[in-house]
Amino acid sequence: MKLPVQSIRWRIQAWHGLLLALVLAGFGATAWRLMSATEYRQLDSQLRVRLSALHQSLTLNPDGMPGPPPEARPPPRPGDYRLPPAMRGLFDNGGYYYVLWTRNGALFGKSANAPAHLPRPERTGHGAEARSLNGNREYFDFTPPGECLLAGIPEASLHRSLRKSAELLAALGLVVLVLGLTGGWWLASRAIRPIDEISATVMRIAAGKMDERINIAHTDSELGKLATVLNETFGKLASTFDQQARFTSDAAHELRTPVSVILAQAQLALARPRQPEEYRETIQTTQRAARRMHALIDSLLDLSMLADQRTHLLARPCDLAEIGREQLDLIRPLADQHDVTLAADLGSAQCVADEDRITQVFANLLANAVKFNHAGGEVRLSTLRENGSAIIRVSDTGAGIAAEHLPHLFERFYRAEESRSRTTGGAGLGLAICKSIAEAHGGAITVESELGRGSTFTLRIPAADSKNPP
Amino acid sequence: MRILIVEDEVDFLRTLSQAMREEGYAVDEAMDGEEGLYKAGETEYDAIVLDAMLPKFDGFELLRRLRRKKATPVLMLTARAMVRDRIRGLDCGADDYLGKPVDLNELSARIRALIRRSNGNPSPVVQIGELRADMGARTVTLREKAVPLSAREYALLEYLLQRRAKIVTRTQLYEHLHDENDTPLSNLVDVHVSNLRKKLGPDVIATHRGQGYSIGLDQA
Repeated sequence: MKLPVQSIRWRIQAWHGLLLALVLAGFGATAWRLMSATEYRQLDSQLRVRLSALHQSLTLNPDGMPGPPPEARPPPRPGDYRLPPAMRGLFDNGGYYYVLWTRNGALFGKSANAPAHLPRPERTGHGAEARSLNGNREYFDFTPPGECLLAGIPEASLHRSLRKSAELLAALGLVVLVLGLTGGWWLASRAIRPIDEISATVMRIAAGKMDERINIAHTDSELGKLATVLNETFGKLASTFDQQARFTSDAAHELRTPVSVILAQAQLALARPRQPEEYRETIQTTQRAARRMHALIDSLLDLSMLADQRTHLLARPCDLAEIGREQLDLIRPLADQHDVTLAADLGSAQCVADEDRITQVFANLLANAVKFNHAGGEVRLSTLRENGSAIIRVSDTGAGIAAEHLPHLFERFYRAEESRSRTTGGAGLGLAICKSIAEAHGGAITVESELGRGSTFTLRIPAADSKNPP
Repeated sequence: MRILIVEDEVDFLRTLSQAMREEGYAVDEAMDGEEGLYKAGETEYDAIVLDAMLPKFDGFELLRRLRRKKATPVLMLTARAMVRDRIRGLDCGADDYLGKPVDLNELSARIRALIRRSNGNPSPVVQIGELRADMGARTVTLREKAVPLSAREYALLEYLLQRRAKIVTRTQLYEHLHDENDTPLSNLVDVHVSNLRKKLGPDVIATHRGQGYSIGLDQA
């Protein structure tokens, strides 16, 4: 069971949701605080209006006409205060109340709805001040002689309205969050969908449908590039598999022919009693077939060893000219048999190479040059040093190779002409082995050919130099 | 019976030829498509064993060209016995298909079946009067008693039996009993016929003066 947390889509969604929620919460809290501050400011200004009315009331004479200020009057007696009728409207509704204390702290007067036992504020000398006490908002001030005036209002309605605002904000935030999450999910899905397509295709390929490819609809995006890279990789893998399968089938086919000979010969020989001479022939035939299989198996092993990066060449300093001289002597009987002249142009070519492998290349190229030559033809072997390369060059005066065969000549089991193979005995691996040997030495093998004029094979490997002393 | 084997692997060709000769066939050999097509066109073979992979042009091409003029039964033989190749061979006009390596007994049984079918004889066992021949087991009995025959005699009798109720010329007999390297005097056919008459009785093989021989023409 896969946790949804492991899905990219879910993770994107979770982070997206968390961030959105944080932003909304911060925004909501700020908005609420601003609203609350505004509400308090409004309330306070209302209270200030009432407080200044109370101030004014102290300067009025009992008849309602303006009189001297409080400092010019005798100290008031407790309980004497009466709110002038003109000001009653300010305290009649809305829950506003007032309280006044005399200079010595006794209760001077208060409205009926004022809280009982309200403590008298301490004089700080900063002018009018606000305080929140027991769920009431109060504004108070002192007259110069020391009377304390206070206007207040319960905060309950303010709190109610603020709570309503908070609820509204929360609801709004929730709606935005849901919208954001939905949009985020949609976006994440859209972003993820190509990945789903890619993974579905890759799974089909993994299941064996090697010719499937990812549909590249959005090549510009990062995923498009990824899909292109994947498609190229799959193409290369598929062609490698194809080559491997063809190679295996070719190898099996090459082995099947000599096996057929051996089986048929054995069956025929065992079918009835034979003369010793017949048995001898049977054994000779099967021996030829077995030798052919042996040669093929050796070639296959050579190829697989050369293809294996872990195989190390026994690289030692050697001179191609010396190896060439030895190989010319070895090929001479075959050349005489085919009535082919051998020519040599052996210049010193020092290199660091696996002598056995290089010998194989010489033997192979020389044998081909002799076998595919015409009677009276010539094979020329050159070794030389040129531009930091040690070079082996084998030229023949044979029929040449048609241009369409040249690109495939070094492929395993490739034969320019089917008819040549059986009579010359090779399985079509010789040149493939030469190519592998060249590459294992960090070199290359090339061919030039002209129909009717002959072919030239050239092997180049790095020559021994100061960095690579012989 | 005379067959042609087209195969480019010398050892395999020689093995097949020897095996088929030991089965009593006259065997001709060809080593490439060109030679094979030439021989198949020149001689009336009873069957052809054809390798698919050949130099010059391959077995499929040979078959396509041969089928324009001849209906000789052809058994294709190849190392690549893939279903695709078998279908291709059969659709090119091959009558049967066998993959390498071959079992020689299966190969000769298939060739026998091909020859029988091409002559319109579904059964390998033929009964004519008191003569009974089993062409699968290659045995001949007369009045329930086995008759020992030489390879040539059997081959001649088999050829006449495959074409029973038809007149077979001496040239035909000569051509189908001897391969390209075996050219004895033509009156050898008459010698074999007279030897067969000694072993099977004088009436089994009828002589049609100036035309040839036949078996079972009266009963037909």
